[in-house]
Amino acid sequence: MGITVSGISKRFGGFTALGDIDLEAKPGEFLALLGPSGSGKTTLLRIIAGLEFPDAGTVAFDGVDVTNQPITDRGVGFVFQQYALFRHMTVADNVAFGLTVRKKRDRPAKAEIARRVEELLDLVHLKGLGRRYPAQLSGGQRQRVALARALAVEPRILLLDEPFGALDAKVRKDLRRWLRELHDRMGLTSIFVTHDQEEALELADRVVVMDHGKIEQIATPETIYNDPASAFVFDFVGESNRLPISVRGGTAHFGQHPLDLPPHEAADGEATLFFRPHDVEIVDDGAPALPAVVTLARPRGGATRIEASITGREAPLELDYKGDAPPRPGDRIGVRPLRARLFGVQ
Amino acid sequence: MSAPLASPAHRRATAESPIARIVLITVALAFLGVFLLLPLIAVFAEALQAGVQPFLDAVVEPDAIAAITLTLTVAAISVPLNIVFGIAAAWAITKFDFRGKGFLITLIDLPFSVSPVVAGLIYILLFGANGWFGGWLAAHDLQIVFAVPGIVIATIFVTFPFVARELIPLMQEQGRDDEEAALSLGASGWQTFWHVTLPNIRWGLLYGVLLCNARAMGEFGAVSVVSGHIRGETNTMPLHVEILYNEYNFVAAFAVASLLAGLALVTLVLKSVLEWRFDYHRGGAGH
Repeated sequence: MGITVSGISKRFGGFTALGDIDLEAKPGEFLALLGPSGSGKTTLLRIIAGLEFPDAGTVAFDGVDVTNQPITDRGVGFVFQQYALFRHMTVADNVAFGLTVRKKRDRPAKAEIARRVEELLDLVHLKGLGRRYPAQLSGGQRQRVALARALAVEPRILLLDEPFGALDAKVRKDLRRWLRELHDRMGLTSIFVTHDQEEALELADRVVVMDHGKIEQIATPETIYNDPASAFVFDFVGESNRLPISVRGGTAHFGQHPLDLPPHEAADGEATLFFRPHDVEIVDDGAPALPAVVTLARPRGGATRIEASITGREAPLELDYKGDAPPRPGDRIGVRPLRARLFGVQ
Repeated sequence: MSAPLASPAHRRATAESPIARIVLITVALAFLGVFLLLPLIAVFAEALQAGVQPFLDAVVEPDAIAAITLTLTVAAISVPLNIVFGIAAAWAITKFDFRGKGFLITLIDLPFSVSPVVAGLIYILLFGANGWFGGWLAAHDLQIVFAVPGIVIATIFVTFPFVARELIPLMQEQGRDDEEAALSLGASGWQTFWHVTLPNIRWGLLYGVLLCNARAMGEFGAVSVVSGHIRGETNTMPLHVEILYNEYNFVAAFAVASLLAGLALVTLVLKSVLEWRFDYHRGGAGH
């Protein structure tokens, strides 16, 4: 089921949570809403769900306007960060809830409900735990119960608010992979909110990066990482170094040092240079590059992570060196960005 | 951590010296003994001073029976009403955002801050013979003050905050997630309340009801103003005690008083049990 969000705005008192948001999720797509806290991502998700109503704009499912429909009628599955399991009910009763509250004529028979619950518990790998209470389960198990409960009413849209936020790293990773499988198998259209860029890049078909109630970029994970549309996205997604520079006569300068940059189209004036730690070449001191002093060098993955300080900048640069003879602390080096982006000063 | 405090090395930074502790505990116990325990014992001692028979006579005497019945009736009406009002107020305050929320919370506290006598006088002013609605009520042959309805209204006023005040922090702490989850699963508002909200607040609610009930049965000031002290008709137990006492009928006064004191003791025991269950549920059902 496709989701179309057009021109959504939402204010809370004097605070603009969302300003004129347009967004589309194609049927079967898995979208991530990524942003820092206060970026409006959760508000947007809650508006799509029908837990919050926009001041302006519309939400449509498969072209049908649902803007004024309450969540009860929208038929979406919603998963909360803190699971929101009914603590006084067994796991089985939790999962069955959406079916048992149906009006008599739509309600499946007791045996049928029990069968569905078994099926769902099996699906979320919790077979045999139906008679436990939520308090007797681990965090990962509780979140899977919450998912089973949401799926029991056969939604075609699944919305998840920081679904892995309260879990530890290992569980989070397993659950992530499993959720993606589930999404594909059930033909759902899913949107999840996260502030964890790794999670968004790994899981989603497309990532929606948000900041201050605006969408900064909507793109595939590859594009988001390799071709960020704004300084914010470059900074927020992946590791990056930022350097204040000035462009004079088509050439970028850091202080008095001209930089040998890949072709760019920056106009003359102040700008910020962004580059990833692995997109650099470390050359000998003296070449037309940024002069820096190595302050730290330690192995990391297949490379050596180097921190180097440069005059005129407080935070050290973070660089990856992939050769066999990494520089040592105290060494003077030249840093030449191979791939970099210039963004005008905001 | 319940490490023994015996060895100085294990003493926590906040622990006082042994002498300070002994002094503090002694002062607290002495105070409680003199001001709370001693009077309680005195009530029972006075009641049974002349033996068991005068005690029983005082309790089963028709006016006493009438007072007990009236007190139970008033509690049976006002407590359920305050359960409904309390839940409604707590629900409105914790689950919705609206203007004037702070004012509503202040209003709920009003009965705690106003003297019960004033509360009683308000109803005399409203419903008394010379009150605002007095003429209309008389014309329709309705009696509120100096009758049971007045006592019920005054009791509701005085006991209103107990349920609401107990539920508001609890429901605030629990947030709206559970209700939103229920709604997202297609439950109606009523189903959500009945299957999700009410079970979540049941221990807190019981606790509030218990305190509300204790106060409803023990209220003196407001009820005294609106009751009119008609023996066998508008006398509740506390008022009956006062009348007997003023008639120098000490044994009977203390006998009925001991019933109220007994009620207080039962309330305390139930309260402790509830607190224990309540904490258990709050602690055990966390994240």
